[in-house]
Amino acid sequence: MRILIDNFTKTFGTTTVIRDMTLDIESGEMLALLGPSGCGKSTTLFAVCGIHRMNGGRLLFGDRDVTTVSSQDRNVGVVFQNYALYPHMNVFENISFPLKIRKESKADIDAKVREMAKLVHIEDLMERKPAQLSGGQQQRVALARALIRKPDVLLLDEPLANLDAKLRLEMRSEIRRIQQETGITAILVTHDQVEAMSMCDRIAIMNKGQIVQLSSPSEMYNEPASAFVAGFMGNPPISFLDGTVEGSSLRLDQSSIVLPLPESSRPASPASRVKLGVRPEYFQPENPDKVEGKISFIEIQGRETLYDVTLENGAVLRSIQSSGPLHKLGDTVRWGVDHSRVLAFDESGARL
Amino acid sequence: MRRSHLLGLGFMTPAILLTLALFIIPVVLTGVFSFTNMSTSTGITGGAYEINPRSIRLMKDAGLREGLIGDLEENLYKIDAAGLAQVEKDFGKKLAEEMKGAYDGQTFKDRRELVRAIKDLKSRPRSSRDLNKAADLFQKSILNVRYDDESAFLNGLGNLGITLQDGEQAELTRFAYTGWVWTTENFSNMAAMPSTYRAAFNTVLYIAFTLTFNIVFGVFLAVATFYLPSAAASTFRTIWFLPRILPHVLYVILWKWFTWDTGFLSQVLEPFGVAPRNWMMDTEINAWVSIVLINGFVGASLGMILFSSAIKAIPSSMLYASEVDGASRLQQVRYIILPQLRWPIMFTSIYQTLSLLTSFDYIYLATDGGPGSSTTVWALYAFKTALNNYGGNLQYGFGAALALVLVGIGILASVLYLRLFDFKSMNAAPRIEQ
Ligand SMILES: Nc1ncnc2c1ncn2[C@@H]1O[C@H](COP(=O)(O)OP(=O)(O)OP(=O)(O)O)[C@@H](O)[C@H]1O
Ligand SMILES: [Mg+2]
Repeated sequence: MRILIDNFTKTFGTTTVIRDMTLDIESGEMLALLGPSGCGKSTTLFAVCGIHRMNGGRLLFGDRDVTTVSSQDRNVGVVFQNYALYPHMNVFENISFPLKIRKESKADIDAKVREMAKLVHIEDLMERKPAQLSGGQQQRVALARALIRKPDVLLLDEPLANLDAKLRLEMRSEIRRIQQETGITAILVTHDQVEAMSMCDRIAIMNKGQIVQLSSPSEMYNEPASAFVAGFMGNPPISFLDGTVEGSSLRLDQSSIVLPLPESSRPASPASRVKLGVRPEYFQPENPDKVEGKISFIEIQGRETLYDVTLENGAVLRSIQSSGPLHKLGDTVRWGVDHSRVLAFDESGARL
Repeated sequence: MRRSHLLGLGFMTPAILLTLALFIIPVVLTGVFSFTNMSTSTGITGGAYEINPRSIRLMKDAGLREGLIGDLEENLYKIDAAGLAQVEKDFGKKLAEEMKGAYDGQTFKDRRELVRAIKDLKSRPRSSRDLNKAADLFQKSILNVRYDDESAFLNGLGNLGITLQDGEQAELTRFAYTGWVWTTENFSNMAAMPSTYRAAFNTVLYIAFTLTFNIVFGVFLAVATFYLPSAAASTFRTIWFLPRILPHVLYVILWKWFTWDTGFLSQVLEPFGVAPRNWMMDTEINAWVSIVLINGFVGASLGMILFSSAIKAIPSSMLYASEVDGASRLQQVRYIILPQLRWPIMFTSIYQTLSLLTSFDYIYLATDGGPGSSTTVWALYAFKTALNNYGGNLQYGFGAALALVLVGIGILASVLYLRLFDFKSMNAAPRIEQ
């Protein structure tokens, strides 16, 4: 089912948390709401499921305007960040709760709960109380409870935040599998960009209550619309260099370093200020446009090694290399920037 | 002893002293008193020996020999030195000496007998009026004469010529003793008196109704204020909390004003053709409804506060979850909120059972246990018996025995509840998962 958030505004008292936000989510799509803490992701989610009333704008599920419909009548499944399982009910009772509320027959409930439990692999845990479950098991119970009554929309608020790294990987594909199997329209709230990129069809990046870019994961990574998006996508993160335009090149501040600018992104006016974004994978020893600096930090990540290189003006470039640690802290190196892949932004942070 | 031990003892001392003064000593004294027959008439210090109308009645009830009781009740006439001296003063030395010679030390059963004896004397008075007067000077009675100890009492009896048969002496001194004695009669009386069972029944009724009202209304208030906007909710809570902070007397006076035959209810209902009446005391049912409501509104406010905070402790995401799961308000209350209130409700029930068991202040102020003794609960019954009796004879001993039963039940219940709670708290999973 298509979800249209149209000119949505949300205020708490006198502070406006979200202003005129518009977001169109296609039927069967899984969309990630990605953004830093406090940007309004949960607020948006709560408005979609009806827990928060909207202070302005409309919300459409398919063709139906649900702006003023109560959350009980929206048929939305929600997995809360802390799962919000009912502690006094066992797993079976938790999952069957939405059906019990609708007064479905015992036999129906039983059959549906068994089927759902199979889908999320918790058949053996039906008698347990939430307190007796691991985080991942609780998460699957919450997912089962959200899905049991075949909701039109599935909302996931940082469902993986409390899990360990391995379980997180497992659950990522699990949730994606279930979402694709059921063909449900889903919104995943997260502030983990890896999660967003690996699970979702499209990503909406939010900042301060605004959607700053809505794209597919690869486009979001390769063609960020702003320095904010570029900084948010990618791990280890992109590094930025500030400088002034000199012809077709950029002179870095307080240094003799001059880097060529990509043709597509030369600013209109000469001598304007530009911020250059260089991702770690495009700062490598074999690239042509050499820059000299001192290694100021080494992080060994197993398969890869991450270096921080401090340039003569104090700016830092990050490099990730798949070879083992060949260099020592304090070594002076001359590595190159792939100027065709650098990203240039103007002073306000907009992409050039 | 190490210094830290001393310090610990120092910190404990106030608590120990308080427990001693406010619990252990009263309980021990209650226990002691309950095995005595202390009352207003016995006093609480030692007593004296005295035959009085009351002891005569008791002796009759106990079936003592009628002849003896008759002797004790009757006036006797005994010729003794004091009487003779009076005769000498009023009728002259001659008569006195003649009487002393003829009858000294003799006892006469009644005045006629003595008058006849005086008539036999030479120097007797002429008029029968004077004869009677002379005889009256020797009138003696043991009635209402106090003797400080047993031997003086027996002496007094002997002096009057009252003769005791075998085994009567002990019984007579027992009845004549006005002080308190050790006895277990309080408990056998208690078991035999219908008023005891009435009080017990009233207590059960009182606790059951008041507790139910407290809990149900407390939960209702807590849930209702939970869903209200917070400003309205706190106003609402304050209003419902007022009865608790109002002085008891004032609170009950408000109720009385509300229910008097010239009070609010009567006035309001009069235009509708309802005859004015004392709504509180009109019938037993009225009285019961009144005391349950009077106590209930106070008790419910405690429940309201406890339950409100328990509801607030429920993570809001759990309530949100139930909403998106489709639960209406009522279903939310039934399936999410009430199960979370299980522990506070249990705690409140236990706490209030114990406090209701021993509290009677509102009943005392409102209905004073009436009409009749229809709202007299055990604690009030004990209070009235021991400390506040219309008859004026306060039965400390019997009252203490009644109170001791309450103390026993209270201690037993507390121990039981404590075990229950400890046991649960050690085994149960966390109440609210978060
Ligand atoms: N009930 C509320 N009253 C006032 N302000 C609120 C309320 N709820 C949220 N806010 C504010 O709204 C903003 C957005 O909150 P929101 O919970 O949507 O953030 P979020 O993007 O989900 O962050 P996180 O990643 O930390 O969960 C925050 O600045 C927060 O302080
Ligand atoms: Mg959030």
